[in-house]
Amino acid sequence: MDEPTLSLNPEREPGTLDRPGAVLAVRNLSISYGKFQAVANVSFEVKPGEIFGLLGPNGAGKTSTLSAIEGLLSWQEGEITVGGFNSHQFPRYARASLGVQLQSTNFQPELTVREILRLYAGIHGLNLSGEDITRLLREIKLEDAAKKRFGQLSGGQQQRVSLVIATLHDPKLVLLDEPTTGLDPQSRRQLWERMEAIRVSHRSILLTTHSMEEAEAVCDRIAIIDHGCIIATGAPEALVLLHRNDPEVIAVSRKGKITLEDVFIGLTGRTIRNE
Amino acid sequence: MPQIALPTNKSVLAALLRADFITQWRNRRSMILILLIPVIILLSWAPLVPVFGGAFVLSNSITIGLTAIGLMGYSNSIARDRDKGIFQRLRVAPLQPWSIMASRLAVQLAMILTLTATVFIAGARFAQIVLPVNGYLLGFLMAFIGGTVYLGLGQAIVGLIKNVETVNAVTRLVYFVFIMVGMFAEMGKLGESMGNIVRWSPYGTVKNLLATAMEPGNWNRQTTEELLVTVGYAVLFSGLGIRWFRWSPAR
Repeated sequence: MDEPTLSLNPEREPGTLDRPGAVLAVRNLSISYGKFQAVANVSFEVKPGEIFGLLGPNGAGKTSTLSAIEGLLSWQEGEITVGGFNSHQFPRYARASLGVQLQSTNFQPELTVREILRLYAGIHGLNLSGEDITRLLREIKLEDAAKKRFGQLSGGQQQRVSLVIATLHDPKLVLLDEPTTGLDPQSRRQLWERMEAIRVSHRSILLTTHSMEEAEAVCDRIAIIDHGCIIATGAPEALVLLHRNDPEVIAVSRKGKITLEDVFIGLTGRTIRNE
Repeated sequence: MPQIALPTNKSVLAALLRADFITQWRNRRSMILILLIPVIILLSWAPLVPVFGGAFVLSNSITIGLTAIGLMGYSNSIARDRDKGIFQRLRVAPLQPWSIMASRLAVQLAMILTLTATVFIAGARFAQIVLPVNGYLLGFLMAFIGGTVYLGLGQAIVGLIKNVETVNAVTRLVYFVFIMVGMFAEMGKLGESMGNIVRWSPYGTVKNLLATAMEPGNWNRQTTEELLVTVGYAVLFSGLGIRWFRWSPAR
């Protein structure tokens, strides 16, 4: 054990949240790679039971921000607290409060689904019985795939396994990095239902996606990030209302109705970005 | 009040070891190849036992196996898992990063143990090479020490090169150069100066150390120097490997 249990009280100890309401608080985060500033002074919060979307074109700073929250890269300035734990001071506690679904397939392809679940249960200090694993797999309709190797599963099945592993230890915050990329509409809808179930259980989700339809469908609030800065934050419908008369937004709108995608393109520009 | 319990190192290591040993077992074709090549070399060199001695033949075979474990097995598996993001997925969990590598190295140490035992058994069974008990024990010990040189070298290559295909190609090349130059120089086929270079190379010191360890009565000052050089290689390569290593192939 690194540190004792921390408490959230007005006489807060180092590493606890300033504002008890937030499950994730990112404050004045700045990340540079050499001379290139990937993230500049980014601040946002995710509240309990909230699905928060982080949207941005390629190379906008989403991945760097997520990687910093996940503890995969160090940052130059700012502060991140996850579940009440300062990521710099108590990195393992912060990571223990976090469930992560990364963008790409990242489990040993030689291991079966059951073995992967056992591995991650052990890593989180959980003792899962065979029945527990069967129950978990039944919940995601994969009980027949228990003995299949991860590499043999379809994209949708892999995402379901990945999501169940991300929530195995009942984290306060779940990070989903473009979870529906490449999924068919049925799998995507099913994943949205699972995200809703996570929200209902008072856990929060930080979601990145390129799908504005998805952001509108599942997110309570979104932040649009571009060139390393957050340029807009709010509920999807509120952002549409706020920007519906912007000339840039009207210029990109189609069929006469302003959508979140129009607002997004209006705010971030039409230029195609490379990573 | 946030209350959260961190997993114990014991729980984490047990989970990682189980997964890593399963992964190694499922890749048993490459594992068998790593064990088979030293045995084939041992069998083909069996007629040379009366000329060079049993320890020479055994030590050559084990050194070739150790090179394969460090350069082919370990480095390629690390490069692949880094490329696939498997390490990054593990690192977002609340474990100590050293436990990931400790588990990987434990699997390789088990491989070194298996290799050494296999060569000793094959030597006794097919080439009638029987060592004294302390020769076997010291042989195992020196195989572990020698193995760390090649694991360190493999780690340094993976640290220096980010691309998985390039790691694969470079390790194969280094492996081939090591065994070909090492074996021929050991037999005096590459001239005296090349023989001297090879003698103090990672191949030569490990091979000579193993050979003397199997005949402990022959241990002398030069063997101690070879041990020190071997440990030096292990420290140097591991140090570079740790310093250069990145968990992700990205920037």
